[in-house]
Amino acid sequence: MTQPNAAILDVQAISISFGGLKAVTDFSLSLPPGALQGLIGPNGAGKTTVFNLLTGVYTPQTGEILLAGERLNGQKPNRIAASGLARTFQNIRLFGDLTVLDNVRVACHVRAETGFAAAILRTRAHYGEEAAIRERAHRLLEIFGLSHRATDLARNLPYGDQRRLEIARALATGPKVLLLDEPAAGMNPQEKMALADLIAFVRREFGLTILLIEHDMGLVMRICERITVIDHGVTIARGTPAEIQADPAVIEAYLGAPDPPDASAEGP
Amino acid sequence: MLSARASALRPGLAWVLPRAVGPLVAGVVVAFLLQLVVVPILGPFYEKLMMDIGINCLLAVSLNLVNGFTGQFSIGHAGFMAVGGYVAGAVTYYGSFVLWGSAAVHGGFLGGGDLLFLLGCVVGGLFAAGAGYLVGLPSLRLRGDYLAIVTLGFGEILRVLLQQTGDVIFVPAQIEQASAFTLATSLGGALGFSGIPFYTTVFWVYVMLGLLLVVAYRLKESSEGRAFLSIRENEIAAEAMGIDTTKYKVRAFVLAAFFAGIAGALFAHETGTTLNPRELGFQKSFDIVIMVVLGGMGSISGALLAAGLLTILPELLREFSDWRLVVYAVTLIVMMRVRPQGLFGIREIWELGRPRRGAQEKRP
Amino acid sequence: MTKLLQTLFDGVAVGSLYALIALGYTMVYGILQFSNFAHSDIFMTGAWIAYVVSAAAGWAVIGGDTPPLYSGLVALLASMAFCGLLGFGIERLAYRPLRKAPRLNVLITAIGISLFLENIGQRKELFGTQPQKMPQLLPDTTLFTVADVNFRIVDLTVIAVALVLMGVLQWLVFRTRLGRAMRAVSYNIPVASLMGINVDRVISITFVIGSTLAAAAGFLYVMKYPGALKQPADSTWILLGLKCFVAAVIGGIGNVRGAMLGGVLIGLMEMFGAAYLSPHMRDIYVFSLLIIVLLVRPAGLLGKATVEKV
Ligand SMILES: Nc1ncnc2c1ncn2[C@@H]1O[C@H](COP(=O)(O)OP(=O)(O)O)[C@@H](O)[C@H]1O
Ligand SMILES: [Mg+2]
Repeated sequence: MTQPNAAILDVQAISISFGGLKAVTDFSLSLPPGALQGLIGPNGAGKTTVFNLLTGVYTPQTGEILLAGERLNGQKPNRIAASGLARTFQNIRLFGDLTVLDNVRVACHVRAETGFAAAILRTRAHYGEEAAIRERAHRLLEIFGLSHRATDLARNLPYGDQRRLEIARALATGPKVLLLDEPAAGMNPQEKMALADLIAFVRREFGLTILLIEHDMGLVMRICERITVIDHGVTIARGTPAEIQADPAVIEAYLGAPDPPDASAEGP
Repeated sequence: MLSARASALRPGLAWVLPRAVGPLVAGVVVAFLLQLVVVPILGPFYEKLMMDIGINCLLAVSLNLVNGFTGQFSIGHAGFMAVGGYVAGAVTYYGSFVLWGSAAVHGGFLGGGDLLFLLGCVVGGLFAAGAGYLVGLPSLRLRGDYLAIVTLGFGEILRVLLQQTGDVIFVPAQIEQASAFTLATSLGGALGFSGIPFYTTVFWVYVMLGLLLVVAYRLKESSEGRAFLSIRENEIAAEAMGIDTTKYKVRAFVLAAFFAGIAGALFAHETGTTLNPRELGFQKSFDIVIMVVLGGMGSISGALLAAGLLTILPELLREFSDWRLVVYAVTLIVMMRVRPQGLFGIREIWELGRPRRGAQEKRP
Repeated sequence: MTKLLQTLFDGVAVGSLYALIALGYTMVYGILQFSNFAHSDIFMTGAWIAYVVSAAAGWAVIGGDTPPLYSGLVALLASMAFCGLLGFGIERLAYRPLRKAPRLNVLITAIGISLFLENIGQRKELFGTQPQKMPQLLPDTTLFTVADVNFRIVDLTVIAVALVLMGVLQWLVFRTRLGRAMRAVSYNIPVASLMGINVDRVISITFVIGSTLAAAAGFLYVMKYPGALKQPADSTWILLGLKCFVAAVIGGIGNVRGAMLGGVLIGLMEMFGAAYLSPHMRDIYVFSLLIIVLLVRPAGLLGKATVEKV
């Protein structure tokens, strides 16, 4: 275990229940800066709910979330994004009727400094900032191979492009920590390979710390340094990919579940 | 990183100034030409029609900021119009008595009367904006139809309150003695606020419309405005990307209400209209919603065109006045079936020809 | 004390009327999640059909014979039948094609239908543009007086008919197969149709029931206020409809019991406000109650708050 104050994202025993259902119980996690870790578990284990707790969609009923020492729990999602925690959505939530470029530009807004008056009066600062936003958005689209789609509406993109746009958009908020919720879902093997390379690239390029939810065990085992496994909201194992693969509790959890760990085609 | 690049990319003043000021000047020039050249050619009937169109355009484009840009559902826009109209009407009517002893039109173009009228418009707009803030607050907790019914309720409460106000005072001596409160509650009640001087001209209507168009279009083309749009598209994703949805929803309400207030002020000072609580009820609000939806949610030019069409249509149908509203109703119903996205969808008129590549592809 | 009790009784009478109309809003909302703003025009049509039937039967002759006792029942059933058909037709022709359209479009369509019904109703071949005097089909007398509180036959009838209809509806929704199907459709349309429920039929039936209840309310309304039957496009009708929509929202829209509760609450609020504050501000009491309730309980009194799953 890393020292708590060395961790960039430090999650201490967060829980939530919906009515009677304990969706997440005492979930803890410590991400050192620059880490790429995995969060896995059978369908309905509570992985997405963990992301929702971290990003303020739901408020944890217990526990603490610290991002670079700043307490995040109880804050609104937009504050959390501004603090440097960004995410993608498993069930894609793009701004469908905006262009691909605008999807990314919206996410740049959190780093913008000029306000309403500058936009209406069209000051020099406004033009400067719009140019900077445009530049940054185009750069991200280029990295994700979406430049030629910049003026298309997001909802008209093919599925794989939509998944990549989700990541590009999250990166545009300038995060310290990036949460990816099944980014490879619905992709074919080649696309998955390319995605793994892309994730590795942006991690280096932007000095990111990444937490990844993924159903494709091959992908997870290949790129994650450490993995946390949850089932029914409870953490049942954590360790290196090799340790996880050998863990009897993990095998048990997956065998008892309808979809085995290597089930690759997982829709949103 | 963004701010460093932003200052590096900041253009020079010589480049910015014409772009910043140009559209505003153009708006004033167009309004001036309309008044000076077009109005004399067309005559008083069309003058009135042009003012009606302009006022409806103001209403439709401003409501579009809330319903079209931000995806909130307000159906009480006429309420803001009423706030602006009554406040502005009170300012010019009673103000004229205080300043000049009568409510007659005072001075010529940009004379004392015009300035008082402009002051009334701004004050009316500000009061309406305040009301917009109050109505926008529930939008933080309420969604969809619930918000709609609150906005509607606001309009109705306002209507009843206005109907309870006292008769308009028209005796100078009484006005001089009356307290500000008395004057503010002597707005004509159910009969309407009559006697407001007719300061509204084609020029003023289109100057205000030009201002609104500049604001709306600049908003749409800026980071601020994209924040509005993202709320319409997906509120949860918008929040996750750092958009303060609360702030922008309220901002949309306030801005829209401000311009609705100005539209109300123009309406109040227009020839041939009486400011009347009944006329600014939910039916008027529905009319404005219809313009926005018909034009296409978020399309500024669409809202303009729809407002124009829907103002002219009843005039054209006047010949068959018996069937007029029936035809109007059927048109609406049919329109929603054959072109549910409105005339232009979310796009502007000039974007229509632009092809969109990559039609819907199904995921594997 | 007498005033208090009398106001209470009047409030319940008006409230049961409101509840009947509110049910129509809430049932449609529960199933299709949209606010049927044309509902107030069904209610208006119901009232006018009752008049037309009475006029045709010769009961509306001023100074003529007192109408027979069964006249009320005939008028009631006629307007219920007519409006049931009308509701069926509207759903079939206007709303069904829009089932997957954005809600705003459906709303505009509803406004369109509302305008249509009002203005076609104003045609001279139909109801005309003049208000009419509704004949008193029910005896306008006080049945009994307790502690100086007058229990008028009309009010008692309103309450009784409303209670019977709401009882039937309650039974229908919670005790029958059809009711179970309705609840399934309102819960989730795709799942309901997978379970073999004929969704289209259930939706049709919902509209018919809602419209029938509105027609009954329309009839009761003109019995209670026979003085002037306002012309179809008069804003009285829409305002009444709005008030009842508010009742449904206050109770928790989509919730059948909530609509009944909301209706009665609004009725009481209005009557007490009119009796003890000022009679001119009825609408203000109603809408203020709405705003307060929504701010405290955004999903209405009996509604369940829904969390969007992310
Ligand atoms: N808002 C909610 N209300 C009720 N139950 C929820 C909600 N969000 C998630 N759940 C439940 O919590 C459990 C975990 O879901 P989720 O986190 O989406 O699983 P997964 O591990 O597949 O991402 C599921 O049983 C789900 O139904
Ligand atoms: Mg999940």
